[in-house]
Amino acid sequence: MKYSTLRIISIVSATVLLASCGNEEPAMPELSFEEALQEQLIQAKSGDVITIPAGVHEITRSLSLNVSGVTIAGTGIDESILSFKNQVQGAEGLLISANDFVIRDLAIEDTIGDALKINQSTNVQILRVRTEWTNGPLSTNGAYGIYPVQSNNVLIDEAVAIGASDAGIYVGQSSQIIVRNSRAEYNVAGIEIENSTFADVHDNVATNNTGGILVFDLPNLSVQGGRNTRVYNNQIFANNTDNFAPEGNIVASVPAGTGLMIMANDNIEVFENNFEDNNSANVLIVSYLINEIPITDPNYDPFPEAIHLHNNQYTGGGEFPDSEPLALLQAATGQPLPDIIWDGMLAEGKTSADALCFSEAADTSFVSLDASNGFAQPSFDAAVHDCVLPRLTEISMSISSQ
Amino acid sequence: MTEIYLRSALLSVCLLLLVACSESPPVFHDIERPVRLSDWQLFAVGTNELVPSESSVVFRPNNPLFTDYAHKLRTLWIPQGLKAEIVNDEINYPVGSVLSKTFYYPRASSTMLSKVADSGLQKINLNENQLIETRLLVRKSDGWDAFPYVWNDEQTEAFLRVAGASKQISLLDQGSTQITDFTYFVPNENQCAGCHTTVHPDGDMHPLGAVFSQLNVDSNEIDTGNASPLEQMVQLGWISDEEIFPRSKSWQDPSASLQDRALAYLNMQCGHCHNPEGAADTSGLILDSSQTLAINRGVCKPPVAAGGGAGDLRYAIVPGQPEESILLYRMRSDKPDEMMPELGRSLIHSGGIELISRWIAEMPGAC
Repeated sequence: MKYSTLRIISIVSATVLLASCGNEEPAMPELSFEEALQEQLIQAKSGDVITIPAGVHEITRSLSLNVSGVTIAGTGIDESILSFKNQVQGAEGLLISANDFVIRDLAIEDTIGDALKINQSTNVQILRVRTEWTNGPLSTNGAYGIYPVQSNNVLIDEAVAIGASDAGIYVGQSSQIIVRNSRAEYNVAGIEIENSTFADVHDNVATNNTGGILVFDLPNLSVQGGRNTRVYNNQIFANNTDNFAPEGNIVASVPAGTGLMIMANDNIEVFENNFEDNNSANVLIVSYLINEIPITDPNYDPFPEAIHLHNNQYTGGGEFPDSEPLALLQAATGQPLPDIIWDGMLAEGKTSADALCFSEAADTSFVSLDASNGFAQPSFDAAVHDCVLPRLTEISMSISSQ
Repeated sequence: MTEIYLRSALLSVCLLLLVACSESPPVFHDIERPVRLSDWQLFAVGTNELVPSESSVVFRPNNPLFTDYAHKLRTLWIPQGLKAEIVNDEINYPVGSVLSKTFYYPRASSTMLSKVADSGLQKINLNENQLIETRLLVRKSDGWDAFPYVWNDEQTEAFLRVAGASKQISLLDQGSTQITDFTYFVPNENQCAGCHTTVHPDGDMHPLGAVFSQLNVDSNEIDTGNASPLEQMVQLGWISDEEIFPRSKSWQDPSASLQDRALAYLNMQCGHCHNPEGAADTSGLILDSSQTLAINRGVCKPPVAAGGGAGDLRYAIVPGQPEESILLYRMRSDKPDEMMPELGRSLIHSGGIELISRWIAEMPGAC
């Protein structure tokens, strides 16, 4: 009896309450797939696995995750697809700022800007992830596919990156990096390691990009002094797609037909790669000075040093250079350009052997461009580079594999 | 016995009524995340009016962030009996403090909203204005937290939208009669932190508007006849009046130099990310006035990872040549992958563009 009286009163009071403000209880809005997913990402706890079911999921706004210890898992690289074809907000598809992060078995397609950006995170695993612009190489495509920046302990394994208007797989301002078993195709730069230290790039396929693999160091950044990268056992062939990067960006200066390009990095070991049919140069090693951009950064070293090439295979290439000095050289010699091309620029007091050592098969060709003298006297003398540098150590990653 | 229950129940009805509809102070929620904005009791939604609680201070910062010409009603509330401390010349709000910012547009017609200057209303007439969203920044015991609430069409309640929301808006420019259709975006909670966490990624969220330099506004600058926000805070006993308050230059202050106005503008619109520890330090472009080296402030600085945002241009700022400057290109863009700031706007800010354009045009030097 008491309870029923109470219940009546409480119902009455609720009604009075509603009536007193003149409204019905306003209705809660319903969430779309992307809103529910973003809410999950925001409210995630360490240890959570957020699953992306198979299917094509249309996403219109950037997704982001700031919680450490979270895994985002699809059911397969061609099954779980986040399609940003109709994206209307955000400079990237998925933006991560979280440690101990794993993303696996899914695809991110047609983002308006970068596809997967990972900023200032430690222990990052990107496994069987595809980033792709599905309309082919267009300058209107987003800049980067897989894009960890200022991050440490980064593993990219069995990834696929297609169509980026800058770099398909781009690791910038980071340390302790492995990029392996991945495929980069129809990007301006297939795989790029920039302003980073301690990277292993191996067992990848880079083809149909403008430049297959790039190892760069740029000035005026808080993280610079790129060094200690090993590039080995990669298939780097037919990277002859016209450069479609927007002007102004550093990769816009990469000649179409570049296999591997090293700019201003030190201690780079390149071995057991297969270079084939890269029309400008299978291997191109340059100083930042080649860009003719004034350097105002007193802490920046624009010269590549201790570049070590050995046991690589070179087939074809150098036949249709996409660079004025290279084209002039080719016209002058009447030959395809050599396998290894160095701009020849040296820091004061340094020798050719300080810059570049190689032990390659006897038929491997080489040229030093004499770029600092207006390409006046190119030298084909490989003997000065016949030296051996200590092997770099393997990157071992302590993060567990999933 | 029954009578006692009845009486207490009736009493609770009265209490509920009071809470729901009459003036009662805001409520701080430390652990819960109220789904309804009304649970905070920051406003009375009276007869067609949104009225901030009398316990709040309404304020407007010196340099507000541009948000698609939306008008903003900002409130600040500190629980009774508590006060803010001054630490390192900055206001250290006590746990329980609640900042609110309500975004709204004046109505032009039943389908169209109006682009006019924000007149700084102290309360919002709901017949004449359309409420869009109310963002809260709440000082919890473990730090600041952000909550985006989105108003329903009836303007009777705003609901927490953790993942943000979007709204189609037709905006009529009262000057030129031009109509702009655009999508207005309410940020998700991560995006709130994107601006309010200026030390990326491990810094704490903090207010950007309710800070000393932003609050130090002459009372006559907001046409209320009230004391300035800082004076009100002193009167309420929230802060002591013995401090010397720093003051930021306003980008709109005609008496300030072009250089000061431009730097104030860039600092407010860009500096929360483009600072030496911010999310955008990866670009090497630092716009919070902390850098002395011209190249780090953008002068003759090539882009790093701008992609299409570089607009086929070579440098962030080319002195004397606004048309050649990526900085201005990105301010002029409304494409999500090109525009700056990346978040918080769908439209371009003509006033800001005019200022930065003049600043670059008058800058001496060349690249």
